[in-house]
Amino acid sequence: MINGLSSVAGAPGKYIAWGVIQISVTNLTIICVMIVLFILALVVPFPTHDDQQPKQEGRSQ
Amino acid sequence: MTARAGEISPDQTSDPKNWTNRLRGRIEGLVPPGQALPDKQPVYVASWIYVFGVLTLTSLVVVIASGCVLAMGGSAWWHVSSLGHYVNSVHLWSVEMTFGFMVVHLWGKFWMAAWRGKRALTWITGVLLFGISIGTSFTGFLSQSNFDSQWIGGQAKDGLNSIGAGAFFNVLNPGQMLMWHIVLLPLAVGALTLIHIILVRRHGVVPPLDAELEG
Repeated sequence: MINGLSSVAGAPGKYIAWGVIQISVTNLTIICVMIVLFILALVVPFPTHDDQQPKQEGRSQ
Repeated sequence: MTARAGEISPDQTSDPKNWTNRLRGRIEGLVPPGQALPDKQPVYVASWIYVFGVLTLTSLVVVIASGCVLAMGGSAWWHVSSLGHYVNSVHLWSVEMTFGFMVVHLWGKFWMAAWRGKRALTWITGVLLFGISIGTSFTGFLSQSNFDSQWIGGQAKDGLNSIGAGAFFNVLNPGQMLMWHIVLLPLAVGALTLIHIILVRRHGVVPPLDAELEG
């Protein structure tokens, strides 16, 4: 298995070229995952205990 | 608290000319009472987007801890030891996590204009932290002690020489880069992180834009 992983790690990376922009498939995938994570963080409801958490005002000093 | 016989109670030591008293007062006044480690937050903080700051901090703790273990073994340890290789991988991947969480945290704070409500310094320290963290990771790539770090140093020298920085910041000097990576830049990151967190606790977590409009 180690040899298999080494051959993957040692293989040349795959790149996407678009004009002056060139990016590896790995980096593009990571950026896409981060954008999906950002969107999920905005839309997925956060578990709360509404009955135990009194509403507070934000502070600004 | 009552003072024992022969002791001076804290109330009797509030001499304003005493620098220890003044420093204590400054430290105590850094954040409002009870806000250093609060157990309750405003209701708008109940969102996953507010989690990424503390995720960044948590992964930074793993970065520092794994870096301390690597420092004990030395810069070549990870080439000759399976344990060293494992710790080196923990160090690399915790850095990847730190940057991933930091960037999502940055996006969240940018789109909610987190510099509102006298929080400009919190924003500025965050921007500085982002920049210095990149420098810290780059000097880490230069400290791998392999052909990869040689190649990166060879590529980086031209850019740095073109702006005159090469005279005192030589990327082809692995000893100098290692010292920047494990001493100078981590000190800057640690100090700025502390200031950033104190400022967040001092001014409170920024409310969403619509919450402020409604208020």
